[in-house]
Amino acid sequence: MDIRAQVSMVFHLDKCIGCHTCSIACKNIWTDRKGVEYQWWNNVETKPGTGYPGKWEDQDIYKGGWERGGDGKIHLKGAGKGKGLANIFHNPYLPSVEDYYEPFTYNYLNLIEAPPGDDQPTARPVSLITGEPMDVQMGPNWDDDLSGTPDYARNDPNLKKLSPAEQEAMFQLERMAFFYLPRICNHCLNPGCVASCPSGAIYKRGEDGVVLINQEVCRAWRMCVTACPYKKSYYNWHTGKSEKCILCYPRMEAGYAPACMHSCVGRIRYLGVMLYDADKIEKTASLPENELVNGHLDIIQDPFDPEVIEAAKKNGVPDSTIKAAQMSPTYKFVKEWGMALPLHAEFRTLPMLFYVPPLLPVMASVTETDGAQKSKLNPIAKTWTDNWLYDTSTEELWGTIEQSRFPLKYMASMFTAGDEKAMAERLKKLMAVRIYRRWKTVGDIDEAKVNQVLKDTKLTHESAEAIYYLTSLAKFNDRFVVPPAHREQAIEMLEFTGDVKGSTGFGFRQKPERGM
Amino acid sequence: MNLKTLWRTLVAGAALALVFSLDMGSAQAAGGDQKFNSVCAGCHSIGGGKRVGPDLKGVTDRRSEAWLLKFIKSSQAMINAGDPDAVKVFNEYNKTPMPDMAQFSDADIKDILEYIKGGGGGPAPAMAPATPADIKLGGELFQGIVRLKNGGAACNSCHHVTNDAVIGGGVLAKDLTEVFTRVGGTGVGAILGKPPFPVMEAAYKDAPITPEESRALVGFLQDVDKKRAMQTPKDYGNQLVLGGVGMFAVLMGLYSFAWRRRKPGPVNQAIFDRQVKSQ
Repeated sequence: MDIRAQVSMVFHLDKCIGCHTCSIACKNIWTDRKGVEYQWWNNVETKPGTGYPGKWEDQDIYKGGWERGGDGKIHLKGAGKGKGLANIFHNPYLPSVEDYYEPFTYNYLNLIEAPPGDDQPTARPVSLITGEPMDVQMGPNWDDDLSGTPDYARNDPNLKKLSPAEQEAMFQLERMAFFYLPRICNHCLNPGCVASCPSGAIYKRGEDGVVLINQEVCRAWRMCVTACPYKKSYYNWHTGKSEKCILCYPRMEAGYAPACMHSCVGRIRYLGVMLYDADKIEKTASLPENELVNGHLDIIQDPFDPEVIEAAKKNGVPDSTIKAAQMSPTYKFVKEWGMALPLHAEFRTLPMLFYVPPLLPVMASVTETDGAQKSKLNPIAKTWTDNWLYDTSTEELWGTIEQSRFPLKYMASMFTAGDEKAMAERLKKLMAVRIYRRWKTVGDIDEAKVNQVLKDTKLTHESAEAIYYLTSLAKFNDRFVVPPAHREQAIEMLEFTGDVKGSTGFGFRQKPERGM
Repeated sequence: MNLKTLWRTLVAGAALALVFSLDMGSAQAAGGDQKFNSVCAGCHSIGGGKRVGPDLKGVTDRRSEAWLLKFIKSSQAMINAGDPDAVKVFNEYNKTPMPDMAQFSDADIKDILEYIKGGGGGPAPAMAPATPADIKLGGELFQGIVRLKNGGAACNSCHHVTNDAVIGGGVLAKDLTEVFTRVGGTGVGAILGKPPFPVMEAAYKDAPITPEESRALVGFLQDVDKKRAMQTPKDYGNQLVLGGVGMFAVLMGLYSFAWRRRKPGPVNQAIFDRQVKSQ
């Protein structure tokens, strides 16, 4: 047992409104510089959609992540020792700048400085890379909200697993739906970027598991750009180094939540420490695809288990971090309630950013009804006085989950490596909490039914209440439990602090002289 | 600049260097023989045949003393003035200008002429014919396989000889394949012992070539000269260019095969193609 601490995240997709405040907060702090204009360490995508960079989920194109070989061992799909060496001067699977978008500004000065003429002066777009006038081909979130278009939504790599009929059903106007997927670096337990770096510039911080690129060691081989299946390592063309999300570690060390989380309007983001068993990483990442998600969740250890605590202490995890792990909202979502799932577990990097999947609008029908029909409906159904019925209910309790506008197969392709049962389980939990709250606040549902619903989803009144609290009411300190950074220990590793004792603080810069 | 002009420039420069380097020596030189051997013998022989300059045997009979005095002091002035004999000699010897011997007084020149008139020291004593071992050593010294004793640079850093035993040398200085024919054994020996060319002089100033090395090198160069007709230097001509083009095509083919599965272009190219472009 090799217990270590990892700062992990949970994004609650039902709450995301797609406002991009997180992206802007991140951009303003970290990527508002020359060479990184095109980088969005935090971005929000519309699903179904191709995302950023285009079709990043399609590893036939980008060769990211790990592959399980015939011998049951994993190796990097597009990078690593042999492949890295063979492609060291030409990495053939890199996304090009067009896949992100070519950053641009406008020649605003022309509006006021243009010489007098017959035509209204215009501000032409100018490339931020070449400085030349350009045609804007694409911009950040170019495909935002284009949920039904043939260009973006229908090219979503996740649709590959759906039959053409199922795909067609998704894009019927009446059934169409979309949701948002905010993405940052997953700070994986088995990061492809770290494994691929020929210079050894990328490392996973011991104290909190943040994955960082040492800018002094990076030699711009860009193997990490290929190896990261989430395409969250980016090349800075100005400095010739690669950069990625740093989980705002300077903020975290000072006790603040990362900027994207702090600024989140929908309060969808949660951050907390989880303890995991590093001995299990290789075995877990090599599991067959259908066992991956459960294996991944099994790595995470119970922070209240005395054995785990002892092993953590033996590894030098500070008490304060263990305490933070016990209060961690992410542990609750991921392990205690089993509601959050990793994104694309099949990439085998063991990402530590989990998503509570969205309970998208379930199927509903709008019909003119009469009394006979009404009597058949269960009490959840809502009728209007004019007898038009918007009906989301079915006779069978969980039928709506199977019939949701987003086929379970699609959701499972994103979150459970294709396991629809595991996916339905999470969605049912979300539904159960809603039914529970409906019983509590509206009171038009039987208690017996509520108890049945909770029992089916292995929840209790208490846990349902706690889920409701953390989902809807949680305060800042409930959502972000940042472990204390213990900078004092870090300093002691670098220098002998006794040296400077007495040399700082209150005193005289010049020796005081006495007398006249 | 072709090699001939380079050679000429070098010789002119060498002469200038000679002027300075021999300033002190000439003041103490007693007779014409010493002066001749230290200054003139690099380019001229007395009855030893043509070198860089003409064989001087009987020159005092062919030309008047006044003409000789004038020519030795400043040959270029005479040529520019259009003296027919001077121009003839100049053209005959590849327009290699003879340096002005301003360091010699008229008396010095007369001493030298006296020495020439006397037939010099007779033909230079025949050197012992180089043994195969000498030739081998010379070749090794030429290529730097064996270092020169005083640490001088190997000959092929600047010079080239056409010889199958030797990998091609530098092109910074004269091709030495036929140097033996050109200046003879004594000339080569003299040049090696006291290089008259400024670059070579500077290079070997603190690392002189020893007499034994010089003998081996002369032997080697003689051997090279003798065997030059039997060498088969390759002339690739256009083949070199065509070969390069062909090889390039092969390489490109190899690359496109090795990376045939590379990402061919932007994933959204189809969208970009439809977009309206500004002119």
